[in-house]
Parts: sequence; C-alpha cells; structure tokens
Amino acid sequence: MSEEFREEMEKLREEIARLKEQIRSLSEKEEMKRKHGIYIDIGNRVRDYVEDIMECVAEGIHGELEKSVLIGPRGVRIIKRREPLIEEKETEVTLSKTAEIMSALSHEHRLKILKELLSGGKYINELQEKLSEITTSTLSSHLKVLEEAGLVVQEKVRGRYLITMPGRAAYKMAIRTAKFLERGKME
Amino acid sequence: MIWHKYQIDNIVQKVSQDLTLWHTERGLVKISRDSLAVPIKQNNHKKGYIFHGEGKLVLDAIIETTEGAIGKPIEEELKKPFLMLGDAEKINGNLEIASKEDLAKMGYKDKQEVISRAQKLFAQFLGKRGICKNRGVIFAFPNKNGKLDMLIAKGSKIVYKAAATVFIANNDNVILKTPQKVILSKHNKYFVIA
Repeated sequence: MSEEFREEMEKLREEIARLKEQIRSLSEKEEMKRKHGIYIDIGNRVRDYVEDIMECVAEGIHGELEKSVLIGPRGVRIIKRREPLIEEKETEVTLSKTAEIMSALSHEHRLKILKELLSGGKYINELQEKLSEITTSTLSSHLKVLEEAGLVVQEKVRGRYLITMPGRAAYKMAIRTAKFLERGKME
Repeated sequence: MIWHKYQIDNIVQKVSQDLTLWHTERGLVKISRDSLAVPIKQNNHKKGYIFHGEGKLVLDAIIETTEGAIGKPIEEELKKPFLMLGDAEKINGNLEIASKEDLAKMGYKDKQEVISRAQKLFAQFLGKRGICKNRGVIFAFPNKNGKLDMLIAKGSKIVYKAAATVFIANNDNVILKTPQKVILSKHNKYFVIA
C-alpha cells in the first residue's frame, strides 16, 4: 500500500513540476507580449536560419564598402591616414580645390569624355570618333580643363589621354550624386 | 667589362642635325643640332658621348590600373652636360668637328675647357660604379642637387632613378616610387603603399 502511495506521490510531484514549467513559460510569453506586443516562438532552427541570412547581408554590405572605398576588384590600396577623418578640416585650399574639381566636372561634354576614358587610354582622334558631336578644338580645350584639374593625364610620348585615379573617383561620385538627387526628387 | 677601360677622347664634335638618342613608347631623349659632343672611347671605339647643348628628356612615369592612371609624365630640359653610354653607332654619322665659334656659342673659350668638363662629369659617373655589363643604353643627367639622375634602358626595360622619382618598367610590370607613395603594378593588378 505504502509502495503504491509512494509511486502515486512521485507521479504527482512530476506532474506539479511539469505544470510549474508550463506556468513559467506562459508567464514569460505574457511578459514578452507586454513588452514587445506580439511574441512568436519560431524555434531554434528558424532562428538560426534568420541569423545566417543576417550574417550574409552584413558580409555583403561590408564587402561592397571595402570594394568601393578601399579595395579595388583587381588590386589593394593600403591607406595610412595621418589624421582621423573627423579631424580633417575644410581649409580654404581644400574648398578651392573642390571647387576646381567640381568646375571641371560641370560640363556634359567633359563627363562624356571621362566616361569614354573609363574603358582605357585613348588618342584624341579615337575620342573624336566616339564623341562626334564635339568639335576637335572644343575637345582639346575640355581635355585641358580635365588635365589641369588632375582628372586626366596625357602621355607625352604616345599622346594618349588616360583617366586618373582621382578622375575615376570624381566621375563616379558625380554620377552617384546625380542619381541620389534624382531619386530624392521622385520621392 | 670594367669602367676604367673607358676614356674621354681628346676631340670635341658637334651634332649636325636634331637627333633622337633614345625612343620607346614610354620615353625619349633628344639632342638638338649644334650641341657639343665629346666621345667616350673604349679600345679606340666610340661607345658613348657627353653632350652639351639643348636636349630633352621625356618619360611617361605613369601606371595604368583598372582604377585609373597613377603618376605623371616627366619632362626635363637638358641644358647641362649629360652622358650617354651605349647605342653610339647610330650617332657617329651625325657628328662633325666643332669650330671655335661652336664652342663659343656654348660659352666655352677652348676645346680643353669642354673636355675637362666632360671628364669631370665622367668621373662623377664612375664614382659609384665598378663593373658594368654595358648592355642597352645608359644616360646620366646632373640634377639641381649636383647629383646624377640615371636612366638605363634596354628594349622595353627601363630603370629611371632621379632625386624624387624611381620608375622601373619591364613590359607590364611597373614600379613607381614618388615622395608620397610606392605603386607596384603587374598585369593590371596593382598595390599602393601610401
């Protein structure tokens, strides 16, 4: 009799422990609902899946940032900064240089020239063929402006025009800014 | 081949027409008509010259990368005497003996003054060097610091060392060192150390 009683007591204790666990879990859910509105238990597998996706997205963003800022698709730039970016001051010199670069970019023909040079160095006659709407003398004066701003360099022996590293960056920046502003207008 | 076997000749010549002393798609060295030339001889063969007149050095010290070009062309007016060793054969037929008037035009009172200036430059050039295989062509240009800028070229291979710039090119393999950065490039892949 006592044996049966002991077994019954044991079952009851287990039942009480299970019920306590259920109550604790329910009260946790109630607490989450109170704090965050809706609580959905997605289980470990789903949670891991979402975490994996988030990790991939973060890696993608990081990779893109590195590609566009520091590491080119076919090369590596190591930039040793002497001062942190935040401390860089906008001096009169940097502003005037910025104005000079912006001024060099501020003509559709010059942007077209830069676009043509993105695919590689070109002789003036090759540029003339590609940009037939620009006369030779106008083309020369545009190239001079771009050269003075450091966006283009001319080889003195062969005579080809090449887009410089700052020229490429400035062109991309101008296009991105225009797209950004255009998108802003539409929104 | 040991440098001391070379010696400065005892004659002064002048360039009879504008000459291109070296020319590749990356650079050139020119000397204009009426410039003075003192031969450098080895075993009675003319192996090079020391020129004094109007010369020009152009070198496109530019590296093309997929991210844009780096570097800039170098253009130097060569008004001081400079040395050229190698490729002398093509010049030999374009020289004639310089007259007193030719020397006077360049500010020399006599032949000996030209030769001693040439010897001084040659001694400076020899100063740092012991043995050379003497292939290709070597130029030495005195710079404003009183030192020598060197250009060594053979076919498409170029080594240029100046006070502020070092440029080494071998077809698509290029190294450019400027006071701000070093750029190494190989088949469109590049590395910048700034």
